[in-house]
Amino acid sequence: MAAEKGKMLIIDGLKARVAEKEILHGLDLVVKPGEVHAIMGPNGSGKSTLAQVLAGRESYQVTGGRVSFEGEDLLSLTPEQRAARGLFLAFQYPVEIPGVGNMYFLRTALNSLRKARGEEELDAIDFLSVAKEKMKLVEMDPAFMNRSVNEGFSGGEKKRNEVLQMAVLEPKLAILDETDSGLDIDALRVVAGGVNALRSPDRAMIVITHYQRLLDYIVPDFVHVMAGGRIVRSGGRELALELEEKGYAEVRRGPAEARP
Amino acid sequence: MIRFEESVRAALAVRDGAEPGWLQGLRRRAGERFLAQGLPTTRHEEWRYTSLAGLAQLAFEHRPAPASTAPAPGGEPGCRLVFVDGAFRPDRSRLAGLPPGLRVTSLAAALASEPDRLEARLARGGAFEEHPFGALALALARDGALVEVPSGLKVSEPIELLFLHTGAEPRAAHYLSLVSAGEGSALTLLERHAGEGAAPTLTNSLLEVVAGPGAEVEHLRLQEEGPAAFHLGLLALRQDAKSRVASRSVSLGGALARAETRALLAGEGAECVLDGLYLGRGRQLLDQVVHLDHQSPRCTSRERFKGILDGESRGVFSGRIRVREGAQQTDADQVSSSLLLSDDAQADARPQLEILADDVKCSHGGAIGQLSEEALFYLRSRGIDRAQARSLLTYAFASELVERIRPAALRAAARRGVMARLPGGALLAEAA
Repeated sequence: MAAEKGKMLIIDGLKARVAEKEILHGLDLVVKPGEVHAIMGPNGSGKSTLAQVLAGRESYQVTGGRVSFEGEDLLSLTPEQRAARGLFLAFQYPVEIPGVGNMYFLRTALNSLRKARGEEELDAIDFLSVAKEKMKLVEMDPAFMNRSVNEGFSGGEKKRNEVLQMAVLEPKLAILDETDSGLDIDALRVVAGGVNALRSPDRAMIVITHYQRLLDYIVPDFVHVMAGGRIVRSGGRELALELEEKGYAEVRRGPAEARP
Repeated sequence: MIRFEESVRAALAVRDGAEPGWLQGLRRRAGERFLAQGLPTTRHEEWRYTSLAGLAQLAFEHRPAPASTAPAPGGEPGCRLVFVDGAFRPDRSRLAGLPPGLRVTSLAAALASEPDRLEARLARGGAFEEHPFGALALALARDGALVEVPSGLKVSEPIELLFLHTGAEPRAAHYLSLVSAGEGSALTLLERHAGEGAAPTLTNSLLEVVAGPGAEVEHLRLQEEGPAAFHLGLLALRQDAKSRVASRSVSLGGALARAETRALLAGEGAECVLDGLYLGRGRQLLDQVVHLDHQSPRCTSRERFKGILDGESRGVFSGRIRVREGAQQTDADQVSSSLLLSDDAQADARPQLEILADDVKCSHGGAIGQLSEEALFYLRSRGIDRAQARSLLTYAFASELVERIRPAALRAAARRGVMARLPGGALLAEAA
């Protein structure tokens, strides 16, 4: 797959199904380094399916289209290979893994990525200093590192843990799936602060959200509206405000509806 | 005739004339009992999932190997009794610096020096004559451990019982061990079974533990026998009022291994914790059997069993809880779950409740499943490859039971054994 210059992610006519139900019906999206794209849309529009398909969830079957990530065919890679290439998904529902320590998990993940990239692995002591630094970013109590992954964490703690992982793993492309769901305003502020601190000219982000509220904190460069498994409208930040005002039904009837 | 039984018959014919008459009688009755029943088959309810057809084909040497009687080397503190091929090995054991009053010796030594003191205790072992291997242990065991903790003594260091097979020839090692913890005493007991060598072996161990009123006993049995081993371990537990016993079993080795526990909650307010972790691979059969008898009121029992089964291995859990008529306010909870790592592995669980009292809380639950696809994806999405993600989650499943083992030294020993058996376990060395 030929890399188009300056484009990190190219999604072209992506179709996917889960359990015999087609959810993505030909989705197109282009993301360049440094950009933050917000994808908004009502429940059931396929936002989370897009996130899962990009991360490589095997229970989702791609039935058409192509995805290129830095010139490489993303869909041919395993989830762990995608992670090693620099893709990161912050889960809407982070998984609880009793019996696996959070610190160990994070270090294993980081070292897996480093190993895949031919870099030296970090020992426990070096890792600790990296982790401590990043924990400040999401104002996380160090006690959480000694607990099992996400086990018994509140909704807000789980989301902080996702952003912490993102901070430690330093992806090129981060997909945040409904990172705002279940957060009160204080937690939202902390999580968004963490995300903003990770914005950089080399790093792109796709922020999936149902509400425009998150976009007050993480200000996107582009806003896309998803409906029925494809992107039906794209625009700048003002599109989010329009959505807030008029609701999804109204915006869907906008000009993009005419697109094939 | 079945070769195994033939070899037992030959062993029974050799009588030890030095033993007192009562013991010879006990052994004769137990031996006759075994021969009358023969090896159990899968037609027996208790052995439905555990076929001994392979064992039946094997003729063993049942008499202990002649061993050195050199005394234990002095100096090194700690308490470890080592048994090899059916006999106590003083030269490999450590028995220095024991607290006053604590008696730790071999059964053979105790029988030689003061046999009559053991008469009542061993006669009670007659209760196991109905159990084929209990009977066999009574008939043939020449050795085992004898541990007596006097009332009020809290023994801080673990007492280790190590049972080894050299595996040089087809051999059965029969052991009869008696442990008693007096009123208000405390004891930590590590029971380890290991083996090397290629020859088929049988370990047949009957361990009786009596916890006196208010006594606290922590028991870990770690079974790491070789691949050609048959292991039949029977723990007979009797608890007096307000005693607290935790017996945790980690079953890793053997071609066929059965860890059986018969617990009698004889005194009011006793608390019993029974954990069992078993890891099968290849064609191993790992069988866990628990008979829990709530005889007195206000006793608590907690059973947690977990199997991790790979290859074509098979795991069985049979747990019977019986609440007797007067045992009001019994609180019994049993959970048995299994993780199947391959399509050819198999798990069977058979909970049985028999409740004859009306004011009780009894529950059982559990599941047989596979690794969570969701959790695997979560780990892989962070860059952890599939194999490592699987071993991480597999260890996580086991860790709930491993982490409960006390004290730390025993926990570390169990953890090492478990990790060594897990696919990719070496990668996990720092996970815990």
